[in-house]
Amino acid sequence: MALGLRVFSERTSNGEPILDDNNGEVLMHTQPAVSIVLGNRPSESPGTLFISSKQVIWLSDVDRSKGYAVDFVSISLHAVSRDPEAYPSPCIYTQIETGDDEEDEDEDEEQQQTLDWSSGISMIKEMRLVPSDSSHLETLFEVFCECAELNPEPMQGEDASNWNLSGNDVNLIGYSNGDHDLTHDVLQLHINDQRFEDAEEMEHESNKRNSHQ
Amino acid sequence: MLFFSYFKEIVGREVVVELKNDLAIRGTLRSVDQYLNIKLENTRVVDQDKYPHMLSVRNCFIRGSVVRYVQLPPDGVDVELLHDATRREARGG
Repeated sequence: MALGLRVFSERTSNGEPILDDNNGEVLMHTQPAVSIVLGNRPSESPGTLFISSKQVIWLSDVDRSKGYAVDFVSISLHAVSRDPEAYPSPCIYTQIETGDDEEDEDEDEEQQQTLDWSSGISMIKEMRLVPSDSSHLETLFEVFCECAELNPEPMQGEDASNWNLSGNDVNLIGYSNGDHDLTHDVLQLHINDQRFEDAEEMEHESNKRNSHQ
Repeated sequence: MLFFSYFKEIVGREVVVELKNDLAIRGTLRSVDQYLNIKLENTRVVDQDKYPHMLSVRNCFIRGSVVRYVQLPPDGVDVELLHDATRREARGG
């Protein structure tokens, strides 16, 4: 799965983004009249924000071929920003994981001047979403939180970080957690573990009780 | 689930969350979920000179997978308890 921001242009005839229904993607929230600010680029508007169960999509209201999308798995952080010194309008501030931290974004920004709107967007590390009515910010923040939780990290084999611990990714049976000797542990269990004896006694007890009846 | 259970116990305490991109955010832990996604309130960026644009953010949601460290309140750490819990977790118990 590609990290970072990408171009999104698949729209239905009524202007909604075409989602991956077959894989269970559903539209969670639509917010009209939202402008978008990518990195240090100028604000683009007007547009409509679509939040699906998988991704955040912004589509231009003017240019039907213009749109951006970013998967929730690429959104490292989101927040409500209200300080006019940081940005003139209250907005949802996001940081985007691009998958390539080595690239120098400023250099990329300079090259961008001569290229079209879609070039270099995969390197964008910050995105601001500015609703014309700032009273929607808290709602948007909560929708972002909800959707982020719907998109945990995909398992990456040995690289899977311990931070991704969920109920599902406990160790498989037969796989040890480190390099300790599983056979040894099982042996210990046979020799020292009193629990099995207790269980037997319980059984005797209940057998006795049954026989009295 | 050890860290999840532990972090739930320190909700309301002040922590510093350090991200893999070196950004460190101090704030009150508001909630944590099973993926260790973290919500912070009353946030302050630790290195404000380096990240001036983050000054404005009062509360934020941080994706669990981008967290490198969480600095805990010293009196919120029961070393013995964590030690035991870690052992139990390692045994799969």
